[in-house]
Amino acid sequence: MKRFLSATLFIGVALTAPAQAHHSFAMFDSNNQIDIEGTIKEFAWTNPHVAIYVAAKPIAGKPEAVWAIEATSPGNLTRMGWSKGTFKPGDRVKMTIRPLRSGEPGGAFSKAVIVDTGKEVLLKNE
Amino acid sequence: MKTTHFGLAAPLLGMVLLGMGSAVLAADAAPEKKVLNPPHTAADYAAVGKLPDWSGIWIPDQRDQNRQARSNPPPWNAKVKPRIDELFKALDTGQPKLMFDNCMPEAMPAWMLINHNAMEVLFTPGRVTLLGESDSNRLRRIYTDGRPHPEDVYPTFHGHSIGHWEGETLVVDTISIRPQTLFAVLEAVAVPNNGDVHVKERIHLAGKDTLHVELEIEAPNVLTGPWKTTRIFTRERRYDIVEGICIEGDFTESTDKDGNSIFVRIPKSEDGTVYVKKP
Repeated sequence: MKRFLSATLFIGVALTAPAQAHHSFAMFDSNNQIDIEGTIKEFAWTNPHVAIYVAAKPIAGKPEAVWAIEATSPGNLTRMGWSKGTFKPGDRVKMTIRPLRSGEPGGAFSKAVIVDTGKEVLLKNE
Repeated sequence: MKTTHFGLAAPLLGMVLLGMGSAVLAADAAPEKKVLNPPHTAADYAAVGKLPDWSGIWIPDQRDQNRQARSNPPPWNAKVKPRIDELFKALDTGQPKLMFDNCMPEAMPAWMLINHNAMEVLFTPGRVTLLGESDSNRLRRIYTDGRPHPEDVYPTFHGHSIGHWEGETLVVDTISIRPQTLFAVLEAVAVPNNGDVHVKERIHLAGKDTLHVELEIEAPNVLTGPWKTTRIFTRERRYDIVEGICIEGDFTESTDKDGNSIFVRIPKSEDGTVYVKKP
C-alpha cells in the first residue's frame, strides 16, 4: 500500500495536472495541431476540465515525456459520448492535440484513436 | 425588581402588564412581516402548466459568446478600458489570465454571458429557478409572484431577481449584485463590476429548441451606458445535468496510509496560467 501511495502522489504532484479550475483555453495554440503517440498513464475525469496523461514517444525534437492533455468538463464530454472509462491506463493511443503555446508537453484534446481497438474518440462539435 | 407602594402585588401586576405588552407588540408587528411564500393551490399548479415548455437542458452557444466578445463589446468606461485591452492582449498571446480560478460563482450577469455549462429551468408556482451544471453557475431564483424587490436587500452573487410573463416571454429584473463579482465577456476578460449593476432580461423560445436570453445591462461604474446583448442556448433532451464541482480540479485522487480514498491538493501556478512541470 505504501508503494502504491507514493506512486499515486508522484502522479498527482510530479505531473502537475493542468486541469486548473475555470480557465480559458487560450494558452493552447488553436491554429496548430500536432500528433503524439504513447500510452495512457492516467485519465482524470474531474471538473472543471478532464485531464489525460499520455507517456508519449519523442516527437519533433522533444524527448520522451508525459504529456498533460486537457478537454472540457465531464458534463460536456458526457454529451459527446465520453465516459470515465473512455481511456484506461495502459491504452496505447495516437492523439491529435493543440499544443501549449509555452512549448511544454501539454495541450488541448482534439481527437484520438485507441490503437488496439481502433476506436476513435472525438469531440462531437469539431 | 423596584420596590413600590404596591408592595408584593407589584411584581405580579408587572408580569401581567408585561405579558399584555408583548401581546400588543406582537399584534403590531404582525402586519409588517408579510407572508412571502403562501401555500400553493391546485390553480397555481394549473397556471404553471400553461407556461411554455422549457424542459430539457440548455447548452450555451460558446462560439457566439466568443464572437460577441469582440463584435459586440460593452461600452467600457475610460477607467476599465485599459485593463480590458490588456486582458485581450494576454488572451491573444496565449497567456490568458485566470479570472474565475477561485471557483467563486460566476455571478450575474457573467453566468448568462460566459457560462460554458448546461443549465435547466424549473417552473413552480410564483417562481422560475435556473439550475446550472457547475457550482460556479449553480442557482438563480426568479420570483414571479408579483413581489417587488425588497427595499433593503443585501447584495449577493446572483442579486435579487423578480420576473413576470409577457405572453411566452419571461421578463426578469435583477438588482443588488455584489460589487466584487466580475463583469465578464470571456473567461479571461473581466473586471469587477464595482456596484449598482441592473440587469434586465427577456427570455423566450426563439425556435423549437432555441432559447434566447436578451440582456440589457447597466453597470454605471464600468460602462458608459446600457449594453444590450443576446445569449443563445440550445435544447438537449438526451442527457441529464452532470454534477460539476469546480474546485475538484484543484485536487487529485489519492490514498492515505490507512487505505482511505482521499483528495490531495495540486500545486497551482502563481501567474494563473496553466503550466506543466516536467516529470
